[in-house]
Amino acid sequence: MVNIAEKQNYNAINSYGIGFGKKTKEEDTEHAKDRLLCEEMKKHPITTSAKIQTDKLVKAVTTYPKKGLSGSKNANFYEFLTMGMVPYLLGSAAMIGVFNLANKFFDTPGAVSASKIGKKMGIGVVLYGLGKVLSKKLIEKPLKWKYGIENLPYDKVINELPEENNKDNLEAHEYHKVFESVDFPYFNLFYDNKFYGDKKNAYFDKVAKKMGMEPTEYSDQQTKDKIREKVVQSRVFSTLSSYLWAATGVAIASQKPWENLVLNPSKRIHNFINHVKLTQQAKTSVKNKVKDIANYDFFIKDFGKKFVKSTKELVNKGSKSSVYAGRILLGCAIGMTLLGNFKTLFDFNNNRGNKKQAASSLIDENKEKVVC
Amino acid sequence: MSNLLDQALSKQPVANQKIAPAFTFDSEGKVQPMNPKGHLLPSKIFGSPIEYAKDIKKDIVNIKKASNGKANDHELGRINDLGIKIGSLAIAAYLCVKNPLKLDKTMQFAGFASFFASMALLPKLLIQLPLKLRTGVDIHQKYVDSQGRKKMLYQDPQYDLTDLYSQEDLDKLGKKLNVSENLPDRNNFIKQRAKKVGVQGNTLWMMTAGAAPIFSALMCNAAEKPLNKAIEKFDIVSTTKGLASRLNLESNISEYQNTDKRNIIEKLNEKLFNKSMKDFIKSNKDKPLDEKMAKTIAQKYGKRINSADIQSAVEKEILAMNTSGKINMTFIKNALKGTVKPEVFESLSEEQLKMINNAIENNSFKGIAEVISKATGASKREQVKVANKIISTLQTSKNQADVAKLGEVIKPLEGLHEAMSDFAHNKNLLDKYISARIGDKSGTYIANIWDDFTSSALKSLKLNNKELKELSNGNLELLESKLQELVKDEGAYTKTVKKLLSIIKDYESKTGEEFTKTISDESKKICRSAKQGFKKQGLHTIAQRITGPSDAKSAAEMIGTLENTINKNAKERITGAGSSFYRLMQALDIFKKANNNTLTEEIKTILKEQTNKAGSEMADDALEASAKKLVEVCKKVVLNATTTDYVEKLSTAGYELSEIEYKTVMSAIFNNTAQTTLENAAKTETKTNIINGIINKVKSKLHSTQNATKENTKEVLDGFKKYKQEAREKIANWRNPITPELGKRVLDTATNSADAIERNNLAGKPIKSMAQDAAKKMYNSKKWLKIWGTLGIVIAAGTIAAGLFLGKKGKIEKEAEAKNTSND
Repeated sequence: MVNIAEKQNYNAINSYGIGFGKKTKEEDTEHAKDRLLCEEMKKHPITTSAKIQTDKLVKAVTTYPKKGLSGSKNANFYEFLTMGMVPYLLGSAAMIGVFNLANKFFDTPGAVSASKIGKKMGIGVVLYGLGKVLSKKLIEKPLKWKYGIENLPYDKVINELPEENNKDNLEAHEYHKVFESVDFPYFNLFYDNKFYGDKKNAYFDKVAKKMGMEPTEYSDQQTKDKIREKVVQSRVFSTLSSYLWAATGVAIASQKPWENLVLNPSKRIHNFINHVKLTQQAKTSVKNKVKDIANYDFFIKDFGKKFVKSTKELVNKGSKSSVYAGRILLGCAIGMTLLGNFKTLFDFNNNRGNKKQAASSLIDENKEKVVC
Repeated sequence: MSNLLDQALSKQPVANQKIAPAFTFDSEGKVQPMNPKGHLLPSKIFGSPIEYAKDIKKDIVNIKKASNGKANDHELGRINDLGIKIGSLAIAAYLCVKNPLKLDKTMQFAGFASFFASMALLPKLLIQLPLKLRTGVDIHQKYVDSQGRKKMLYQDPQYDLTDLYSQEDLDKLGKKLNVSENLPDRNNFIKQRAKKVGVQGNTLWMMTAGAAPIFSALMCNAAEKPLNKAIEKFDIVSTTKGLASRLNLESNISEYQNTDKRNIIEKLNEKLFNKSMKDFIKSNKDKPLDEKMAKTIAQKYGKRINSADIQSAVEKEILAMNTSGKINMTFIKNALKGTVKPEVFESLSEEQLKMINNAIENNSFKGIAEVISKATGASKREQVKVANKIISTLQTSKNQADVAKLGEVIKPLEGLHEAMSDFAHNKNLLDKYISARIGDKSGTYIANIWDDFTSSALKSLKLNNKELKELSNGNLELLESKLQELVKDEGAYTKTVKKLLSIIKDYESKTGEEFTKTISDESKKICRSAKQGFKKQGLHTIAQRITGPSDAKSAAEMIGTLENTINKNAKERITGAGSSFYRLMQALDIFKKANNNTLTEEIKTILKEQTNKAGSEMADDALEASAKKLVEVCKKVVLNATTTDYVEKLSTAGYELSEIEYKTVMSAIFNNTAQTTLENAAKTETKTNIINGIINKVKSKLHSTQNATKENTKEVLDGFKKYKQEAREKIANWRNPITPELGKRVLDTATNSADAIERNNLAGKPIKSMAQDAAKKMYNSKKWLKIWGTLGIVIAAGTIAAGLFLGKKGKIEKEAEAKNTSND
C-alpha cells in the first residue's frame, strides 16, 4: 500500500509541471489539498501569474487536446476553457499573418501600402490584447484596495478516474480562481488561512472592517453576500469596459504614426549602429555623445512615443466625424471604467449587509449560533 | 442548513411576485427536492434570428441586474459574449467613420460580419454538421435547465446530462453510433459514446477556431467585388435622389425648408459645420481681421465647397470687409472724441448717421461736417472751422485705424455664411452626383467599368502566373507576343472584341449626352442661383468667380469660372477613360491587320500616294522594306505612345522617320475611313451570341421594353471612328521634323495649356501601362488567394477529416460486445 501511495505522489509531482515552493516529505505523503496562492501572489505577483499562464498554455496545447480528442472521461470544463487560449493566440497570429505574410510577393508600392496596413493590423492585435487585460485591473485593483476582495488563484488538486491507458498517474493540478464562479465561490479556502491571521475568520474580519462593520465571530456570514455582490459588479464592469478598451486599442493602432514604426529587429539594430556612428563623428564632448546614444529611441521608447502620438491623433486629428468618433470611443471606455469603480467602490445597497440589517433579517443575535 | 430551511419557510412572498417553491414533500410528508424540469431543445444547426434577438434583449436586462451585484455565472458568461460583440461593433464603427472611402467603410462591417460568421459557421459546417450526420450526436445540443436557462449539453463533461435524452433519442443515437443491439445496459454505452463525441468535437473546435481570421479574410476578399458593385448602384440611386432635393434658391428658400429632403447625415454635417464656424468666430472675435485670419476662414469654406478658386475669392471678400468693418458708430465716436460731445451723436437722426457712414465709406467727407456742426448748433463761421477739424480728424483716424477685429464684421460674415451654406449644400449634391459616376475613387461606376474592361482584356491574353508576374514588371515583348497570339486565333479575337465593345457600349450609354446634359443643366441652375445669393449679400467677387461677369458674351470670359470648371472636369474625365478604351480597340485592330498583312498593303498604298504627292517615286523593294518597318512602328505607337511623347511624335522619335513615313504611320493608325477588323468581329455570330440572340428574342416578346438589348455595337464603332478622327487632328498632326529645341519649346507650352490637357485625354492611358497595372492587380490578388485560399482549404479539409476519427468504440465497449457475442 505504501508503495502505491509513494508512486502516486511521485507521479503527482511529475505531472505537477511547474511547482510552487518545496514540499516537505510529510506533506508529500499526505493527501494533497487545494491551496490558495495568496502568499505567492503577495510576494511575487508577476512571476506567479506568469507561471500559472505558462503552465496553462503548455497544457492547453499538449495534455488537454490529447485528453479531449481521445474523449477521456476525465476531460472537464476547465480544460475546455483553458484550451480557449489556443484560438485566441492562433487567431491573433492568423490575423497578423493574413495582412503581412503575403506582402513580400507584391511589387514595391503594393508591398509598401500592404505593409502599412499590415503593421497597423499587427499593432491592433497587440493593443487589443493589452487593452483588454490591463483595463480589467483598473476596476479590480481599486476593489482590492478598498475592500480586500481579490479574485486570487488557487491550486486545485484533481483526483482523476483510472482510464484504459492510465491507471496510476491520477493526480492533476488546475489553476482556478476563488471567485470564478459567483454561484459557488470557494470561500472555504479563506477559513483558517494562516496568511491572514490566526483566527478562523481572519480574512472575513479584515473584509468586514474594511466594509465598515464591526467584526464579530460570524464575520464570514456578515460579509459573504456582500463579497459576492462586489465580485459580480466588478466582473460585469471589467468585462464590458475591457472590450471597449480593446476597441480603443484597435482605434489607436489605426492611426498614422504607426506606419513609420520599424519592426524588423535587424533593421532596428542597423539603424542604431548608424546612430552610434553618427554620434561618434559629431564634434561634441564624450559626455554629450554618451547622452546622445542613451537618448536614442529604443524600441520601447519608440513604441511609447508613437502610442502617445497616436492617442492624440485619435481625439484630435482627421476629419471632424472621425475625431468625434475617436472621442466617443475613448469616452465610453473611460466612462465605463469610472462607472465600474463608482458602482463597486460605493455601497448603494445599504438595506442589506450592514450589521444592523444582518442582525434583524438573517441572524438572530439572541440565539445561540453554530459557526460551520 | 436548518437556518436556510427556516428562512425559506418563513419567507413572506412579496406582493405580486410569484416565487417558485424550492422543494416539495413526498407521500410520507418528508421534504424532497422538486422534480427537475430540464429538457432538450430541438437540435438545430442554425438558430433563428428571432431567438437571437430575444437572447440579446435578455442579456441587456441582465447587465442592469448585474450592475447591482445580482447575477449568476450563466448570466455573467452571456454578458461576456455580449461584450465581445459590443467591442467588435465599436471597432467596425470607428474604422468605418475614419475611412473616407465607402468601400472601406462597408468592408469594416463586412469584416466584422464575416469574422463572427466564420467563428459561428466554421465549427457548424466543419465539425458539428459532419459529426451529426455520421454519429447522430449534436455537439452543440442545447438544453433548458430547471431555472429556464439555455445551456450547452456537452459543455462540461463532468456534469453528465445525458439523462435528458429520451429512450427514443437514445435508440436513434445507438443506431447511428452502431452500438450493439443486445448489449446489457445498452443505454449507458450509448450515453458514454455520445459524451465522448461531445468532448472530442468540442476539443477539435477549440483547436481549429484560431483559423477564423483566415476564413474571414477569404470571405471579405470574395465579397469585395460584389460590394463594389452594390455600392455603385446604391450611390447612383441615392445621388440622383439627392440632386432632386436640390435647394431652389431662385424661388423661395423657406419653401425648401418646409420640405427638407436631406438625409440625417447631411443635416448633421451642416449643423457641425455651422457650429464650428460660429465657435471659431466667437473664440477669435478679438483677433485682428488680417490676411492670415482671412485665409484661415477662407480655407474652411474652400474645404466645404471643395474649390480652391472660391476659396481665394472668399479670402478677398473677407479682406474687403475689413475696411467696411471699421466704419461704425463706435469708430466715429472714438475718432471725434474731444471734437464733438457724445450727446451730439444721440441727437443725430437716422438719416444723418447714414450720411456720415456713407461719407467715411466712400472717403468723401463733404457735407458731413455740416451735419455734425448743425447738430451742435454752431454759427456758420464756426461751422466751417468745426467741419475742417472733423474732416481732418476722421481722415487721420481712418488712415491710422488699426485693422478691424473679427468681432466687428460679424454681420457681413454671417451674410457670407448664409449664402455659402446654401450654395455648398447644392454644390455638394452635384459633386456627389458626378463623383458616384465618374469620381476618382473605388466603388464608382467608372472605376468598376475600368476594372471590368482591363481585366476582361487581360483575361483574353490567357497568361499563366509566371507571365502575369513578368507583365506586371513591365515586360513589353511578352505583351506584344501575347497580343499576336490573340489576333491569330479568330474565335478568341472575335469573342474579345465583342466583349470589350459591349463594355464600351455600356460606358457610352451611361456617360453620354444625357449625363453631360444633366451636369451642365444642374451646374447652370446651381451656380446661377448661388450668384444671386452672393450678390444679395454684396459679395460680387465670389459671384463673379462662380458664373463669370453678368455681361459675359464670349466663352473666353467664362473660362475659369466654377460653372465652367465643373463641366470641363467631368468632360475631361469621361474622354480620358473613353479614349483609353478606344486605344485598346485600336491596338487590337492594328495587330490584327498586321497579322493578316492588310496593314502592310494599306501602308504601301499610303506611302505611294505620299511619295507621288512629293513628286518622287519609290522602288518596289524599298517600298516593301519601308512598309515592313512602318508596320512595326505602328505596333509600337499603339502600345506605347503617351501625350508627353506627343512632342516626340508619339513614340516614333527613335525610328528616325522621314516626314512622309511619319505621315504614313499616322494615317495608317488614325485612318477613320478604312475598314476595321472590329466591324467584322462585331458582325460575326458566335455560339453564345446566337444563344443570347434567342434569349433576347424571347425576352423582348415578354417585355416590350427590352428590345434595345438586341442592338448591335454600331454606335460604338461610330464613336471609334469619331475618336480616330479627333485624335488624328489633334495628336497626330505634327508635321515638322522634331528637333530638341523645338521639342522643349513645344513641351513648355504644351504641358500647361488647355490644349495639352485635351491631347492628354485623347491619348488616354498607354496600353503598356494599362496592361501592367491590370496585371499587377490580378497577380497580387491571385498570389494572396493562392496562399490563404490553400491554407483555408487545408484547414477545412483537415478538420473534417479529423472528425472522421472521433466517436470510435472504446475498449470496454468492444470487450462487452465480444463477451455478449460469445455468450450468444
